[in-house]
Amino acid sequence: MKKLFYTLIATMVLLALGSCHDQVEWDNDPWGNFDALWTILDEHYCFFAYKDVDWNEIKAKYRGKIHNDISSRELFDLCSDMLKELQDGHTNLIATMDVSRYWIWEQYPINYDERLIDEHYLHFNYRRASGIKYQILDNNFGYIYYGDFASGIGDGNLDAILSYLSASDGLVIDVRSNGGGFLTNVETLVGRFIDERIHAGAIQHKTGKGHNDFSEPYHYYIEPAQGRIHYNKPIVVLANRGSFSATNNFVSIMKSLPNVTIVGDTTGGGCGLPFTSELPNGWSVRFSAAPITGPDGELTEFGVEPDIKVDMSQADVARGIDTILEKAFETLKYKRLND
Amino acid sequence: MSQLKVNTQALFFMLLVAWSAMCARAQDTVPDPKPLRPVAAMFQVQYGHAAVTDTYLSPLKYTGHAIALRYEAQQATEFSPKKWTRLLRFGVDYDYTHNPAGNHNMHTLMVDAAWALMHRWSNVATQGLQLQLGGETQFRGGAAYNAYNSNNVVSAHIHWNIGVMAQAIYNTHIKRMPLTLRYQALLPVAGAFFAPDYDEAYYEIYLGNHKNLAHLGWWGNRFDLDHTLAADFHLGNTIVSIGYRNRINKSWINGIDTRNIAHMIVLGIGGEFMNLGAKSRNKLNVNSISSIYQ
Repeated sequence: MKKLFYTLIATMVLLALGSCHDQVEWDNDPWGNFDALWTILDEHYCFFAYKDVDWNEIKAKYRGKIHNDISSRELFDLCSDMLKELQDGHTNLIATMDVSRYWIWEQYPINYDERLIDEHYLHFNYRRASGIKYQILDNNFGYIYYGDFASGIGDGNLDAILSYLSASDGLVIDVRSNGGGFLTNVETLVGRFIDERIHAGAIQHKTGKGHNDFSEPYHYYIEPAQGRIHYNKPIVVLANRGSFSATNNFVSIMKSLPNVTIVGDTTGGGCGLPFTSELPNGWSVRFSAAPITGPDGELTEFGVEPDIKVDMSQADVARGIDTILEKAFETLKYKRLND
Repeated sequence: MSQLKVNTQALFFMLLVAWSAMCARAQDTVPDPKPLRPVAAMFQVQYGHAAVTDTYLSPLKYTGHAIALRYEAQQATEFSPKKWTRLLRFGVDYDYTHNPAGNHNMHTLMVDAAWALMHRWSNVATQGLQLQLGGETQFRGGAAYNAYNSNNVVSAHIHWNIGVMAQAIYNTHIKRMPLTLRYQALLPVAGAFFAPDYDEAYYEIYLGNHKNLAHLGWWGNRFDLDHTLAADFHLGNTIVSIGYRNRINKSWINGIDTRNIAHMIVLGIGGEFMNLGAKSRNKLNVNSISSIYQ
């Protein structure tokens, strides 16, 4: 019995020791934090191959610039510059003093003026529910502005909105400068504009540290909202470069629907589901970890092109005209005449 | 005919003798009344230090506070009560930990329930030393939550396992106060557990991709050990327990490493309880067999 007891204790000690396996640790110094950042991206970022980025070359380019006297601000800027090489709006370095960003919309015309629409089209007379601004305009076209996919959309609110807009002849869904939010809200909204199950795209995830270690695409579908009010008349979706992330996903799905036209500018992209990690000094890093393709099977990391490309003209803006919205009306009128 | 009559009387007499003998024999073999089997119950509050790493959430080790509540009840079995004992245990473990820089927090909440059946050997090696060894089955479930993350904000942990549970119990005295020193170890051996793939988002699972989420658990992909050393002081009918608990939970699968190690001080209060129903009250003069204490 004693032998059994001692054997048991010895086995447990051996198991406890055997279960000890190495864990990577970085020093909390400039090199350690840089190496942590580089390694986290190296092992988890999902678009190296798609963007043809040589990450080792980038490490060599930036690591050599670190020196003993580098300040925290200088290190932050250096790391930010390295991340900008990825050209990814979902990749940010987050510190208490700043957030690094590669926001593509900052390089393009804004193509959206909320005040102009409120004043000249809505006449400051609009309804608002679930973060959605809506009204039937003078030309009897419905108008919805949804500015944040992080705003929850209630089914009851959507019923009320679409019930009211059912008297319109066509609908404009304006998601310009909507920087994204929850993909579940995309499903909720799209479900009101379809009558049958649609293929919405596919999601993959990394299965290991290698740059090409990916799972098989998992195709997913959106069901029509059962027992809820739908809108089946012609629809125009307005987009700009600020239509990013979940909004980019929404536009790519809506573009696949036969009664929908995308008008405006190319969206901002951002089709990688972001994960977050952190460095020893407390800085956080967000990065694209899981690629999501659109219904056509293509990645939209650099945006969804509109069916009709239009920029707002400054001359129109000066006259209180939204060039993109006017093109939407023109499109709806054409569809109404030809249906 | 008279011969037959004599024989009938003789047969009746023989049967009477035989019946008397059987009754006497039956009275000799009436089994002892079943012994009472008090339940040794203990409620514990535990506090200490936790070190948590979950590479799905962060590559860094978080350290901080470990708090736990535990209730356990142990009783000699109805069959062979001197040789077998069963134990039922429920626990809640909460860890509040911080990253090395101290600007991010992680919350880990786990609940567990375990049931074990152990053989007992009394007076092993020395008087008062009792060893118990047997099988256990345990469910452990919960999640680690790091509010600073985006789509990897939560890491769920769901485990079911079977394994070994062992106890070494030494009943002694300090002056006139009974004291029980007790070491208890729970060592899962095999089972099943949940783990997403390397960088698989819970959103993908929500969309319906449930492939490869359940894994067979063994010492090649996870290791757990939960052991406690305690001194139980008998203060009248109350038992006050002071001890130390070490909890090790590790898994390494799909490139995701999780390790949760806690060292805690244990304070407990309990005693031995009996169900004194009508039947039991009639047995108060019979033996009582404790599962732990003497």
